[in-house]
Amino acid sequence: MKYTLTIGWLYPELMSTYGDRGNIFVLTKRCQWRKIDVNIEPIEFKTTDKEIAACDIILGGGSQDRQQEIAMPDLLKKGPSLKKLFDSGVPGLFVCGSPQLLGHYYMTGDGKKLTGLGIFDMVSKHFGKSKPRCIGNTVGEVTGINVEKKTIVGFENHGGRTYLGKGVKPFAKVIKGCGNNGEDGTEGAVYKNCIACYSHGPFLPKNPHIADWLIAKALEVKYGKKIALKSLDDTLEWQAQDTLIKRFT
Amino acid sequence: MTLRTRIAIILGKLVSTISKTFRLGAGATWPGEIALRMDPRILAVLSRRAPHVILVAGTNGKTTTVKMIEAILAHAGHSVVRNATGANLDNGLISAFLADMMWNQMYQSTYFIFEVDEATLPNVLKDITPEVLVLTNLFRDQLDRYGEVDSIAEKWLVALGALDKKTTVVVNADDPQLAFIASKLAATVKYFGLENPDLFLPKMQHATDTIYCPNCGARLTFAGVYFSHLGKWACGKCSFVPPAEDITSREVVSPLEGVYNIYNTLAAALTAQVLGVHKDTIHVGLTKFTPAFGRMENIIVQNRRIKILLSKNPTGFNESLRTVAASVDRGPVLLALNDRIPDGRDVSWIWDVDFEFYKTFPKYLVSGDRVYDMALRLKYAEVDVKKTEIFPSLADAIDQGIYSVKENEVLWILATYSAMLDTRKILTGRKIL
Repeated sequence: MKYTLTIGWLYPELMSTYGDRGNIFVLTKRCQWRKIDVNIEPIEFKTTDKEIAACDIILGGGSQDRQQEIAMPDLLKKGPSLKKLFDSGVPGLFVCGSPQLLGHYYMTGDGKKLTGLGIFDMVSKHFGKSKPRCIGNTVGEVTGINVEKKTIVGFENHGGRTYLGKGVKPFAKVIKGCGNNGEDGTEGAVYKNCIACYSHGPFLPKNPHIADWLIAKALEVKYGKKIALKSLDDTLEWQAQDTLIKRFT
Repeated sequence: MTLRTRIAIILGKLVSTISKTFRLGAGATWPGEIALRMDPRILAVLSRRAPHVILVAGTNGKTTTVKMIEAILAHAGHSVVRNATGANLDNGLISAFLADMMWNQMYQSTYFIFEVDEATLPNVLKDITPEVLVLTNLFRDQLDRYGEVDSIAEKWLVALGALDKKTTVVVNADDPQLAFIASKLAATVKYFGLENPDLFLPKMQHATDTIYCPNCGARLTFAGVYFSHLGKWACGKCSFVPPAEDITSREVVSPLEGVYNIYNTLAAALTAQVLGVHKDTIHVGLTKFTPAFGRMENIIVQNRRIKILLSKNPTGFNESLRTVAASVDRGPVLLALNDRIPDGRDVSWIWDVDFEFYKTFPKYLVSGDRVYDMALRLKYAEVDVKKTEIFPSLADAIDQGIYSVKENEVLWILATYSAMLDTRKILTGRKIL
């Protein structure tokens, strides 16, 4: 049988500051190498709720403050249809401080409370100059989703801190880095099949197991049955990950 | 001059002289650092005594633009000083002033041309009022260090606001962000821009920064782009329009390959015009230009030709790849990616580089601290694995490169900053001819 997946990419022009499109490339190629067809659907101002509902995976990247300001009012309007999608089990990956976007609110350094999408039960806060930015390479151990290999690597660069509520699970345990808040050892969050994390930019190239988990979930939800993925030669991917784990832990 | 300043100058000069005499190789920043610690306002004193100060700032093209201005002014018969490449923080500028200053505290040279780090420019402008300030372009670069393009632009707008008519700001009109900053200034402003529709890219690249109007936030439209967001832009919504250019690419010939070098040539030529240099002198001066190290530098080792292209951010890397593809010189391409402080520790940006468009080079040699990150990038661009070779050691990669390049070919080396320095060190060990 021929399978097809549609990847919804949130605001490719506005929210793609740190090589975020690497995640799109990795999902696309890992599908194509398995003969799964892929459509990329940019989710922009003109995108309708119906078009969003047709997506099988949702990807969100990072943005500069001004770009986020441009995108945010529109994203808030699309919030309910995105939530409906995630509630139905459609997988998603949000990188680069998206915890600030997806939670109930984000308190800025000067005390402004910005309303978030409210899809994830969590809140974020910027402590101004009293807490330094979290910048650097990260290593973690996945706890929030079921994957065989647990290690992940990434790079974080964020000023805000995120605190999880009861309605979400942490995505991973921090081994190296700051993670959600530098206090409770958690990194990111999982709601249903949607992952949010502080790791930014191209998260999937060196974490191919997470890419495959997203693809498998998307196929399962779309076709109503578990579909085994053909295994790929990931020697290079693991070599890249192992090198960094050895170097940074 | 206060006693403190005098002592700072004397100390700095001593360190400078000792460093030069004993070839300690620390002369580019240490004299300045010591003088700065003695007297935090030393830069203001030193620059006030200099007859002509020219500053060049921007993400890409600083070093080459400075060297081009130097070539023109030198040909016009002037004595010129510039800061050492990479020594573009305040301590580097002070060191260059001190190295030129005689013991009687007069300068030997008349023109001081300095490249200035983008994040340092606002501070430098508190001490220096330049005769000419060149703004080349603003792209994303080392986000872990500089922050985002918008935040740099905001700081520049404030800092440049203090300049008056006596300073001429030479601005790239094709960069909407810079054109916007320039439109708000009290200083005299002159613009340069490209007029080569044949060099327009077939479509927008992914690595763009200013594609929304800096004035009103609407999406800009582009009649054509040369690379990234540099091109013939327009805002359909507000009154912000592209400025008229004072010089265009019809009037100059770039001495180097690469579209980005046409911009550098324009910036240098317009600066020279502002300084009163005759057009013919500019033209001949440019022909005498030789590239700065690692910027399209041509090296011959063991009878093999090597060209090194510093490629340190998405836009720079894209333009390097385009230059290699457009060159008459074929040959293997060595990609060296490091993640040290001068490179930026975050290598995410390689995914914004369009390797997908450049899959036909005869061979890809991959190296650097982040060799596997680069190899993965090529894998997902579907560069033929049979053409890709991975070398955790840069020395091995260079050996293999020299070994595999044919007599009529060029070994192209595209490297991030520290990888470029390492490359030169390895090659120098092999006797650069």
